[in-house]
Amino acid sequence: MERQSSALHAHALDVRAGDCWILQQLDVRLHAGRWTSVVGPNGAGKSTLLRALAGLLPLHGQVTLLDRAWETWGMAERARALAWLGQGERASDDLCAYDLVMLGRLPYQGWFGSPDAQDRAAVENALRATQSWDWRSRALAELSGGERQRVLLARALAVQSQVLLLDEPLAHLDPPHQADLLQVLRALVQQGRTVVSVLHEISFALQADQMLVMAQGRVLHQGACADSATHQALVQVFENRLAIHALAGQWVALPCTPA
Amino acid sequence: MTQRSAWGTGLAAVALCLVVVLLGLCAGSSGLDTLGRALLDASASDGAQATARQILWEIRLPRTLGALAAGALLGLAGALAQGLFRNPLADPFLLGSASGASLGVALALAFAGGAVWGAGESRVWVHLGLTGAAFLGAVLAVALTLLLSRGVQHTLRLLLAGVVVGVVLGACSSLVLVLQPALLQTMQGFLLGSTSLIAWPACVLMLLVWVFCASIAWALGRFLDALSLGQATARSLGLASPGLRGLLIAVLALATATAVAQTGLIAFVGLAAPHLVRATVRVSHRQLVWLASAAGALLLAGSDLLARSVLAPQDLPVGLLTAVLGGGYLLWLMRRGAPGNTV
Amino acid sequence: MPGCAPARCACLPYRTWIGMCFLVLALALLAGSHAARAFEVRDARGETLRLEQAPQRIVSLLPSLTETVCALQQCQRLVGVDRYSNFPATVRSLPQVGGGMDPDVEAIVSLHPDLVLVPLSSRAALRLGSLGLRLFALEPQTHDELRDAFLKIGELLALPQAGARWDALDAEVLSAAAAVPPRLRGARVYFEASEGLYGAGAASFLGSTLERLGLRNILPPEMGAFPHVNPEYVVRANPDLILLAQDNAHNLAQRPGWSRLRALRLQQVCAFGPADFDAMVRPGPRLGEGARAIVACLRGLAP
Repeated sequence: MERQSSALHAHALDVRAGDCWILQQLDVRLHAGRWTSVVGPNGAGKSTLLRALAGLLPLHGQVTLLDRAWETWGMAERARALAWLGQGERASDDLCAYDLVMLGRLPYQGWFGSPDAQDRAAVENALRATQSWDWRSRALAELSGGERQRVLLARALAVQSQVLLLDEPLAHLDPPHQADLLQVLRALVQQGRTVVSVLHEISFALQADQMLVMAQGRVLHQGACADSATHQALVQVFENRLAIHALAGQWVALPCTPA
Repeated sequence: MTQRSAWGTGLAAVALCLVVVLLGLCAGSSGLDTLGRALLDASASDGAQATARQILWEIRLPRTLGALAAGALLGLAGALAQGLFRNPLADPFLLGSASGASLGVALALAFAGGAVWGAGESRVWVHLGLTGAAFLGAVLAVALTLLLSRGVQHTLRLLLAGVVVGVVLGACSSLVLVLQPALLQTMQGFLLGSTSLIAWPACVLMLLVWVFCASIAWALGRFLDALSLGQATARSLGLASPGLRGLLIAVLALATATAVAQTGLIAFVGLAAPHLVRATVRVSHRQLVWLASAAGALLLAGSDLLARSVLAPQDLPVGLLTAVLGGGYLLWLMRRGAPGNTV
Repeated sequence: MPGCAPARCACLPYRTWIGMCFLVLALALLAGSHAARAFEVRDARGETLRLEQAPQRIVSLLPSLTETVCALQQCQRLVGVDRYSNFPATVRSLPQVGGGMDPDVEAIVSLHPDLVLVPLSSRAALRLGSLGLRLFALEPQTHDELRDAFLKIGELLALPQAGARWDALDAEVLSAAAAVPPRLRGARVYFEASEGLYGAGAASFLGSTLERLGLRNILPPEMGAFPHVNPEYVVRANPDLILLAQDNAHNLAQRPGWSRLRALRLQQVCAFGPADFDAMVRPGPRLGEGARAIVACLRGLAP
């Protein structure tokens, strides 16, 4: 794909956390209007990559976001263009769901601004998309794990950004809600947004458009999910303990013992 | 829905503050009727009238308003501390400001000695002397904590540094007292929380500082809310975390130091005020800033009222009553299981 | 003043003499009142207090100053005292206005005092001063400072007999010193001022009293007025006499190493009741009484 259609492009990316280099000399291209899933074994650096691309870790290397160099983006501008949802996020139990999702509109509000109609509409859309509208005034303390995760997702959706970086968005969700969320992500991609997700469930990851296979801080393979090369890379990175099958029009990954 | 309850609670708090001011004019060594008679009775001697006027306007009113202002400062500082550190047990003295103030007073007394009391011409310096020393000590202690924790990024490191600084500076002021035991009584007299010596200048100063700090805290209320999602998320939402955290810590230090310099160390107000608010109504940080100030103000001013009236004409230590009142109310709320209560 | 001579004098008509009499009388009165008006006294802070007339309503915030005022027979001028003032018994019925460190500002103001005696190290003094009250700061810590305070208060209250009164009080100490049994003259003494081994050093008021009684303090002046003593130090110093309050006198022998102290072996321990103890420790005019109490105990010790 030509460079013009990449939402995020990182070249020779080095990311350090603390004293050690977690990601070294990465070359990552995330295509615009596509859903890319990042997979790999534990400790591969997937979360670190997402955090780095969200601007939460110091970056070394060349990065372009939406065809502009990283350095030209102001913080508030970047916050409007890029939303990040961390893994296992905690939130104060005091806030009610609505207020928490409204926090996602912070990049659009100044210090003294109050929510306007646009903000409220965005929040409502986000809550409805995650089926959380009915209990929007309940405090977080009263919600179950899955409900809380949906509210946090709604917060990320409320930003209405071009690029969404989601780290384990399906955690704590039961299958119906997992399916719902995947539908939401697909709808967003169809609208032209870019979604990057780190997913533990390989089967769900295989439903994306592109896949980034990582291991030990390096990118092993980057390609379409339907590609057999991608499947091979996947199996290899999991030490041949994984088998990928086609089932009802989808790719499904199942653990297996090596032959 | 949350908006209305917050407004209602706020208005109720303001009304209570007015009631407290009125009661404050009544409570004291002599009842309002005696003073009222002295003021209104034309045949009363000039001396009695002047005394009554002096007692009401120069002693009781600044004391009550000063207690409200100091309580507001401590309540605000408590809300900031709990929001910044995401810890419901945080209080304004978390970053070592209490020990810093003690050490400041101890050093001022040890080095300036008699100069702090004498030199009638420079009344301003004398007044600045101990209150200024307490203020500087508190602020410098927080600065030391920030230095020790190498910035404001890591919450745990910040808290640990605060504890270390508190303990070390406390030991230093104990050392000063050991070397100069004559200072002990004076220091205790200064540091024992007391609202009985608040004059108009101190009162006005505290009110001004409160307006300043509360405005900044209100402006940064959204940031505090976002912080509750975690520092990383707050950053991803475009809020420059280190700079804003540093600013909030500075505001926290300023509010705490001002209150400590004027009234000594009064425990529990900063800790209890945000909880009292949260147990009554669910609010975001923007509203919490004002409501916690109001709760702290009412708690301290109410305790001051009781301190003056329960065993009149004796004056009980106000710190005793803030603990009893605040703690008692919190216990009652916990037992009742108030809605939205996370305690 | 020249008498009003009858008209026997031929120099001037008697009306002129009467006029001169009145003139001289007026001048004398004027001069007298001018001398009585606006006298100034300096307090321990170095601040000068200017008074037109001797104060009649006094509030005292330090027990030793209360006792001083009463020792000058001016108890009736006291209208309020602090909560620690307990001597003489008449002051206990006066309104109590808090402590020296934390006075009740309102109560003091409503007593309309024209003089407030405050301790040196009181923060509240600033507040009281800003309310227009006249303050005089004194905090005697040694015999000399007490004499100074005594004389200054005498000056404030316009009492010319203050000096003589002080001499009488001081003489009591001298006579007490004369009554110390000969074998105990120059004995080494340890006075425990407070629980937790706070000893009275040579630099304290009590230390001065002990010195004037001819007793040697095991705590040298360098240690300060009330040092926190290491019990080992007392054991090494091995005093001949131990003086302390009755409340702290139990199980002295149980203190580690103390059972071998000469004072305990020879039963040369004096335990004083609260009234006597107050008189000894407080830097006030009862120094003679305190000295006598010590000497009485010393005389009661078996040889």
